[in-house]
Amino acid sequence: MSNWQNLQPRSFLEASARDRALGLVDEGSFTELAGPFDRVTSPHLELLGDAVAFDDGIVTGIGRIGKTPVFVISQEGKFIGGSVGEIGGAKMVNTIKLAIEFHDDLVAKHPDLTDEEKPVVVISFETGGVRLHEANAGLLAHAEVMDQLQKARGKVPVIAVIGSKVGGFGGMGFVAAATDAIIMSEFGRLGLTGPEVIEQEMGKEEFDASDRALVYRTTGGRHKYIMGDANFLVQDSIEAFRKQVVELAPLPVSDFEAMRRIGSPETVEKQLRLVALAAEMQPQDAVDVWAKAGNENAAGLLDVPFAEFMSTVKRLAV
Amino acid sequence: MALHTLELTLEPAAAAGPVKAPTHIGVTGSSDLEVLIQPEALDGKVAVKLVTPVTGFDPLWERVLRKFIDETSLSDTRIEINDNNATPAVVLLRLHQAFTAANAA
Repeated sequence: MSNWQNLQPRSFLEASARDRALGLVDEGSFTELAGPFDRVTSPHLELLGDAVAFDDGIVTGIGRIGKTPVFVISQEGKFIGGSVGEIGGAKMVNTIKLAIEFHDDLVAKHPDLTDEEKPVVVISFETGGVRLHEANAGLLAHAEVMDQLQKARGKVPVIAVIGSKVGGFGGMGFVAAATDAIIMSEFGRLGLTGPEVIEQEMGKEEFDASDRALVYRTTGGRHKYIMGDANFLVQDSIEAFRKQVVELAPLPVSDFEAMRRIGSPETVEKQLRLVALAAEMQPQDAVDVWAKAGNENAAGLLDVPFAEFMSTVKRLAV
Repeated sequence: MALHTLELTLEPAAAAGPVKAPTHIGVTGSSDLEVLIQPEALDGKVAVKLVTPVTGFDPLWERVLRKFIDETSLSDTRIEINDNNATPAVVLLRLHQAFTAANAA
């Protein structure tokens, strides 16, 4: 197992799912559930003759941040692009379910519990969505995770952390959007249809997936932060992500409701204003929207160092 | 075409004992593999279970595994591998990584 201290300064982008899970919670507090030694592998992949993983590409477990119990889900992009199938999906669903049941039990036994003593869920996304090899089971798993997110709402805050190679795309892009708070690094990417799928379906003129600058200024952390799709933007290290989670973990659940980007009449109104703005502006590039948000040197925002970006950027208000 | 499973029981030339702690290393990424290694009383032998999409290379797998066991003099240990088309060099590297991690714990 990796050394917690050594993990902290390491790049979040390059960290494995297990290292991310371990490093986000307090030192020595992580206990993995349904881990590799339980050997729960995908029965579908086996039938298809495709390689399997002992953890089905998703690390789940429980840790602690200060007094806050933290239920962790961490996806491994190196295993079939972090795709979510039946087993991995069930692990996600049951981790959130466990957090909710734990919360209810705890509150019933200790009605005077403080906010920082109540559990939170942290999901480290690195996925392209449904594992097509087990499409129906994978889709069902997405729906079940969504269901659990709704059940957790107002009780157990769910925090998304996105800063891994694959990003958070496909059905899991929807799931990430449905969490209470999103923390990204500038190397994190978030979207519904991934760049390569857009290119495949709509052509290179519509979206050139080999243009990495275009990909990052359309789906990357800086753009998502300006647009308000991500609540927080942090540096690319495990400790930077952890620091943000540490700040959020003790907050009352009502504070998280205010961070949500979807799921209330007010947020729907806001989204509709965004759609109206897009129709009126017809932006040709993300930079057009950044300029609209009041950034005078919008194109320059692409290249400025992180600290300067954070101190000068204006986020879009509609 | 189902996955190919290969089970081997190997005996080291000189038995130096099992690994210290059960350990998991690696990710079943493309051209990579993951290893579970744990101590178990097996009359001085090493039991290996390998799951891979690759067929037709059983003698090569056996040579790589035998090389690893001779190099480490491992005995009374169970090794389980999920492979995804790794080359012999990568297999040997991951095995040694697992061995080192299992004894450092």
